[in-house]
Amino acid sequence: MIEFDEQQQRIVLKLVYYGPALSGKTTNLLALHDQLSLDGRGELMLLDTTEDRTIYFDLLPFFYVAPSGMKIKIKVYTVPGQVRHDATRKAVLQRADGVVFVADSQLGRMSVNFESFDNLEKNLSMVGLSIERLPLVVQFNKRDVVDVVPEEEIFKAWEPTGLPVIMASALKGFGVLETFGKILEETFDSINARYGLTARYGVEREAFLSEIMKVSK
Amino acid sequence: MTFDTPNLTFVVGEEKRLAEILSPAEIEPLLRSLIKAGPVWAAVLDEDGLPICRHGDDHPPDTLQEIRHGLLVEGEPRGTLIVANDPSQFQAVEPLALLARDALQLTVNNNLKRMLTTEIHTSVVQESYEQLVGINRNLAESEKRYRELALSLEQKVEERTKELQKAYGKILQQEKLAAIGGLAAGMAHEINNPNGFILSNLTTFKKYLGRMSEMLGLYRLLASKEISSEQLKLLTEARWRELKLDFVLEDALDLLSQSQQGAERIGKIVADLKSFSHVDETSGYAADLNVELTRTLSVLKLNMVPGAVIVQDLQPLPLFTCNPGLLSQAFLNIIQNALQSSDKGKGLEVRISSRFEAGEIIIAVADNGCGIPADNLPRVFEPFFTTRDVGSGTGMGLTVARDIVNGAGGNMEIDSSAGLGTTVTIRLPHR
Repeated sequence: MIEFDEQQQRIVLKLVYYGPALSGKTTNLLALHDQLSLDGRGELMLLDTTEDRTIYFDLLPFFYVAPSGMKIKIKVYTVPGQVRHDATRKAVLQRADGVVFVADSQLGRMSVNFESFDNLEKNLSMVGLSIERLPLVVQFNKRDVVDVVPEEEIFKAWEPTGLPVIMASALKGFGVLETFGKILEETFDSINARYGLTARYGVEREAFLSEIMKVSK
Repeated sequence: MTFDTPNLTFVVGEEKRLAEILSPAEIEPLLRSLIKAGPVWAAVLDEDGLPICRHGDDHPPDTLQEIRHGLLVEGEPRGTLIVANDPSQFQAVEPLALLARDALQLTVNNNLKRMLTTEIHTSVVQESYEQLVGINRNLAESEKRYRELALSLEQKVEERTKELQKAYGKILQQEKLAAIGGLAAGMAHEINNPNGFILSNLTTFKKYLGRMSEMLGLYRLLASKEISSEQLKLLTEARWRELKLDFVLEDALDLLSQSQQGAERIGKIVADLKSFSHVDETSGYAADLNVELTRTLSVLKLNMVPGAVIVQDLQPLPLFTCNPGLLSQAFLNIIQNALQSSDKGKGLEVRISSRFEAGEIIIAVADNGCGIPADNLPRVFEPFFTTRDVGSGTGMGLTVARDIVNGAGGNMEIDSSAGLGTTVTIRLPHR
């Protein structure tokens, strides 16, 4: 959590889209930006890129104000996927409240996915976060591509982790909202359990989720 | 390699106030231009409604009309632009206010981007720096470890070298003993021979002595009786002849001088061996190497290969300070090799030469024996390399010889072709 100001009634949460290079993290944010209503979200900020590849991060903010006046701001970040930007990944990962791991479904990218996941686990522990307790959702992106690993195989491989796994195509736009909704739920539940959002600040789960997940017309 | 989790002083994307993103210096020129274009005054307020910058009439009349535009930070209204003017001229101000809002918003967005980029840069640089410091620390530690290791390694090497030197000294001693042992067989024969005839001579002489004392006893007995010289002569002559004393006396002399020669021969053999092995000397002194060569040869002659011819060509040499015992050992090993190189069906000739040339003592041992095959030539100095049957060669002969020569400050070369013979040349720079 970046900020919790009780006097100002303001919470700033941080969600991070993690994953190997070219798995579609920025595309996920672009799709969210397109699909969700401007009412409740801010502008997508794409920091400088080289050859269309993220070198810093992207940032998409969301806002929710509970009837009690409690304001919740959610900052959604992407990280650069390339191995050499590890320090940037670590910096972005600091104080994250939830992580979406965007994996590449294409055949032959499985080892890259696992390497990146290992890297996530390592970096989380380096910034003092526990992968066991941090809300984490796995998205298998690029389901629209022909040569992809079959769903059953993916579910079978990831089942032991107990993590929610969602199939998506950020390019075609499916699975993106589902993924975002899932990590929002998990993050809300985790923060609620710790800070009593509902009990102490009157932030209702359903209202919070539906307000942020408002689809643009 | 692990690093401490760096204590970052800030987090990327931490919430910022408008005043942190937008400085009065950036707003001021814009507001000034705005006022020039018409409005009475204009201001930018932060999230708490406090002015960050203000421009225009300090005491505006209350009748002014205001336009307010929100300024967004990450899509969230965090500040306000106020433009105020006379209600009468208000319409002209509206587009100006919008223009100013857009310009400010653009500045906010760009500044925010720049700040986020800088933050991540700083964070990455800081982390890289910390990593480097960590790496440096680890390197320094491992360097220290290696240095300690190197130090103890040096010590270990020294210990091992000492052990090796000791073991080598032992091998040298053993080689010497083996050489002497090899000589012992020939020596035994050489000593046994004279010893045998000395013994036999002494036995015979003992017998002769009996006859002589008998004869003397007879003389003594007759001398005590009153008999004529005629009688005495008669009595003794017969006995003298009986005892063959003419022959005995002559032979006894021969026996003794023969035995004396034999004993002298044994004495010489022992003296040669003793001076060859230099049992009495430990340190070096100035020696004539020709003397050493001759002595070595005289020892070797005891077990000379039948039919072998040794040719000596020894030129005068200056005295050479060395341990002559050791050098004799080297000469022995080399000459023995030459003597054992006999090719069947060919008369073996070993030529031993010495000369002094250009400040160097050069000693060469050349044979016309079997030679060394080219394959084996590079290996002849290897310890324990031998082509002889198991038990008959130690494989240390040339190794020891070369080490002795090197130890004396010289070098040793082998030139050989299979079937034609071998020449070993020792060069000792004269000091």
